[in-house]
Amino acid sequence: MTVKNPIAKLSVWLVLLIWSIAVLYPLLWTLLDALKNNEQFFLNMPWALPKAPLLWSNFTYVWSKYNFSTYFINSIVVTIGSTLLGMILSAMTAYILARYEFKGGKILYGIYISSMMIPFALALIPLFFLLNDLNLINTWLGLILVYAALNLPFGIFLLVGFYKTLPKEIEEAAIIDGTSHYGTFFRVMLPLSQPGLITVLITNMLNNWNEYFLGVVLTNDPAKYTLPIGLAVMQAEMQYRVSGGRYSRDCSSRRYRRSSSI
Amino acid sequence: MKTSAKMWKRNLFIASFIIPTFLFFCVFTVYPVIQALQKSFYDWSGMSENSEFIGFDNFIEMFKDPIILTAIGNDYFLVVGKVIGIMMLATFFAVALTRFKLRSSGFFRAIFFIPNVISVVVIGVLWNFIYNPQIGFLNAFLSLFTKEKVDIAWLGFPKHTIWMLLPPTIWAGIGFYMILMIAAIVNIPASYYEAANIDGAGQWGQFRHITMPLIWEQIKVSIINIVITTLNGSFVIVQLMTNGGQPDNTTHVMGSYLYRMAFQQYHFGYGAAIGVMILVISMITTLILQRILRQETIEMS
Repeated sequence: MTVKNPIAKLSVWLVLLIWSIAVLYPLLWTLLDALKNNEQFFLNMPWALPKAPLLWSNFTYVWSKYNFSTYFINSIVVTIGSTLLGMILSAMTAYILARYEFKGGKILYGIYISSMMIPFALALIPLFFLLNDLNLINTWLGLILVYAALNLPFGIFLLVGFYKTLPKEIEEAAIIDGTSHYGTFFRVMLPLSQPGLITVLITNMLNNWNEYFLGVVLTNDPAKYTLPIGLAVMQAEMQYRVSGGRYSRDCSSRRYRRSSSI
Repeated sequence: MKTSAKMWKRNLFIASFIIPTFLFFCVFTVYPVIQALQKSFYDWSGMSENSEFIGFDNFIEMFKDPIILTAIGNDYFLVVGKVIGIMMLATFFAVALTRFKLRSSGFFRAIFFIPNVISVVVIGVLWNFIYNPQIGFLNAFLSLFTKEKVDIAWLGFPKHTIWMLLPPTIWAGIGFYMILMIAAIVNIPASYYEAANIDGAGQWGQFRHITMPLIWEQIKVSIINIVITTLNGSFVIVQLMTNGGQPDNTTHVMGSYLYRMAFQQYHFGYGAAIGVMILVISMITTLILQRILRQETIEMS
């Protein structure tokens, strides 16, 4: 049934409108501010539109001056690597856990699922030393391995659920036709699980692309920063430089200066 | 003979699919966690030769550390604030976008989800700008209503800065939970609402007696999820927005204090103990919560 009362409908619609402005305006504001020069930035009202000439050069400036091209490449490599690795590993395990009965299967599933509860701050310190010992600090491989591991439990959780919904008959038919276990998985089940894999792909990619904290701990060389780290460092430096007065008191870039020799 | 060969093949297949993942998981998750548990009993500055077993001393020290108490308080402040803020708004939006049959609901749904795909770093930077006393639009907006130009350093008050972290986290969190609720509401058979309508129940009555009980399971899952992710992950936004606990260590949460202790002051043992504490706290909280929220879930027939 639809709501008949137009006043109720209108007021609900108004609330929704206000919230969409609250979501969109800050994003738009940042974009517009990015096109201003310093004078407009500081003297005009924050919502004043940028005046011509629009400073598109701000983008190229940041891109080249602040090494964003390097961060970008790092982010792409790390995201693709960790997402693929995490997906393959979780798909293989999820398939077995969903389809094959064997001793310890339930326990294994329980271990993976309960590890989703573990705060990763707990593992932060040992991970740093583990990667240090493996000489993987400041490497793509190090970040790829850690990020892939981080997403493993969720991928397994989601894909086990998905493989359970696929009809068993398809698999049995493949086995009767003489396909090996491996063939059944790679040629039949993996293509069939595409929708589930895509969900995992999207969530993992978002997580890995946006990941900040492990990256901060596991890299200390600007040449290996990913985009979120580069952005955070840049913001710290800029604030230090740009805004004098009260605010900058606690915004020294010290927080991002990490020792490279522990 | 043939069957045993088959079994062997099958087991080999299972092993070859299970073991690589599990080894990988052990190295990068299980091992670090065990290490953290162990190191929490050591006085350890990062160099292995300096590590010394001190039993529960780290934990005893923790109970005497006033910043830890503030941090735990802040953790729970964020948990409560986020649960209330996110759940109320997300439920409202979900109901509004499904039960009110607005023509533009797809548009709103898409917009409300945007903050969920944005990196937490971008959110931190964005809200730092909003709060900025000179160039932020919060002050400029308030100045419209006052004679003098408002000049508040929003992130500079020792007592209230933690409040300033609620808007960004709620702003960023709503979309996902709203989608969860929408999925649940859409699954409720329309006939329930029709029947209620005939019985003369208004919109509010329908919400209380049909929608609410039937999406209770989702609400429960959402609350627990908010609690876990907040206790385990809110230190990222704290680190980004308040310079890791500033001003005067009043905005620390457990995670940001762990980072400070371990990676800036090199008390790795103490840091590991804080990590263990986070684990214990979030486990206890989840257990208690599950008890409290245990209410018969009504099944749709």
